[in-house]
Amino acid sequence: MIYKKAFSFIVRDLILQTSYKFEFVLRFFFMFFSILTFYFVSKLIGGTGEQYLEPYGGDYFSFVLIGIAFSGYLMTALRGFSESIRGEQMMGTLEAMLVTPTNSSTIIAFSTLWSFIFTSFRVLVYLLIGAFLLGVDMSDANLIAAMIILILTIICFSSIGIISASFIMVLKRGDPINMLFMSTSELFGGVLFPIAVLPAWLQNVSHILPITYSLNGMRHALLQGYSLHALAPDITALTVFSVVLVPLGLLTFKYAVKKAKADGTLVQY
Amino acid sequence: MEYSIETYDITKKFALQKGFAEFLMHPFRKDEILAVEKVNLKIGKGELFGILGPNGAGKTTLIKLLCTLILPTAGTAYVNGYDVAEDSGKVRESIGFITTDERSFYWRLTGRQNLKFFASLHDYYSDTARKRVDELLNTVGLKDRADDKFLSYSTGMKQRMAIARGLLNDPEVVFMDEPTKGLDPRRAQNLRGFVKEHIVKEQGKTVFLSTHHLGEAEQLCDRIAIIDEGEIRVIGSPEELKNALDKPTLEEVFLHYTGKEFEEGGQKPPYSKRRRVMREGRRGGMGGGRIGRIGF
Repeated sequence: MIYKKAFSFIVRDLILQTSYKFEFVLRFFFMFFSILTFYFVSKLIGGTGEQYLEPYGGDYFSFVLIGIAFSGYLMTALRGFSESIRGEQMMGTLEAMLVTPTNSSTIIAFSTLWSFIFTSFRVLVYLLIGAFLLGVDMSDANLIAAMIILILTIICFSSIGIISASFIMVLKRGDPINMLFMSTSELFGGVLFPIAVLPAWLQNVSHILPITYSLNGMRHALLQGYSLHALAPDITALTVFSVVLVPLGLLTFKYAVKKAKADGTLVQY
Repeated sequence: MEYSIETYDITKKFALQKGFAEFLMHPFRKDEILAVEKVNLKIGKGELFGILGPNGAGKTTLIKLLCTLILPTAGTAYVNGYDVAEDSGKVRESIGFITTDERSFYWRLTGRQNLKFFASLHDYYSDTARKRVDELLNTVGLKDRADDKFLSYSTGMKQRMAIARGLLNDPEVVFMDEPTKGLDPRRAQNLRGFVKEHIVKEQGKTVFLSTHHLGEAEQLCDRIAIIDEGEIRVIGSPEELKNALDKPTLEEVFLHYTGKEFEEGGQKPPYSKRRRVMREGRRGGMGGGRIGRIGF
């Protein structure tokens, strides 16, 4: 029955989102802007930095398309969980939900489902435009490997998002996890450029971020069709991150709810 | 006798928010206010129990403790035999919470969509949910407006929606936090009739109701507890309370036990004044922060 509960959250958020029709249309419209921006940047760059891009097929636009598309999951996870708590607190609906038998972790997790669905839709649109209109070659893509990496990516990023939401639950504002990952992931995670461009000592930072392995694996799976065996280092790293981050996220959230209940600040914002 | 609600010395203290200067001067000092102090209650099955007190007395804090929304600092409480701290999930399965806060609904969903969503949180889905929601919409007289957006409802309709939501899981115990707040006298009277006749007499549910209205407490409740500054001053039926002191009105009983004139409708003092009272007296509840809603 858990899927029926998940479905009711998705329906709720879909109705709420589409009730703001203008914003909904605008979100679709502006989706195309960033992809076009990077398309023209890649035209300008041409073959510059080819040695850095060689492991990913040599084309900057293909590289950055995967980067901006899949980094969206990290942004969704980091913002989604904490914003859903804050949104429900501000709307005043959190208390009414927390007094039902559905536990708080389920409420928070399911409240972000719509955001993940919308992000997946955006990723699909990016990839389709890239492949069919802007010449990105994904003919050799290993879709099974890409799916495995995607699932591990969502698990890792969601765990980070849940830790971030725990801070919001207690501190209300000023969540350090969100600030830390937001500010470092784009620079060190290889979203817009390969991490090989960074000085060697800065690349060490990249290697402790899950996004690095997620984007690296995804690029190799989609652009070059690497086998699961070839992708094993990235998949292993993401699995290790998941094994550590999932229980950490759940424990942190459980502690945060308990603390907020003890402080009486569960529905304050 | 079987009890629906039992509390044993239940106590709640809240940490006081510090000012910036105070935080810098005394970063580790913990100032607390006592919201509820050693409350002992035993409420029987099928009883309509009212908790009466001025703003900031601790009524809302007590309801939130019993609904598992906050944890007690000390003491224990059982609802339907389940410990509110240890078996909070079981407690929530067996209770309904009716709040007057109209923001607790999704304004851009229809009444039916709202109820169906909350029904899913009680594990009612598909046909079961549809049937239950229809039944409740009919009960509260909102079937004809069920597919209109919640934002188009009047205060009275929103209140009826809150009642429908509170009854979704057919709870054994219903908590009502000032259910007639913001309603005109006629609507408030109708609602009281509904609570007494339908929820308590017909369905045999236990109702724990907080109120600011002496008349409401007297008319509705089997027993009343007068609470002030977090402490229960007295418990008894309205008649018992009046007879014990030989007072003709509940207002005088209230004055006797609290030393305060009763403010009908519970006009709250300005925030700054309440805060000062809390700091000096180290007492205060959670409910004082709620703002009364505009009428019809």
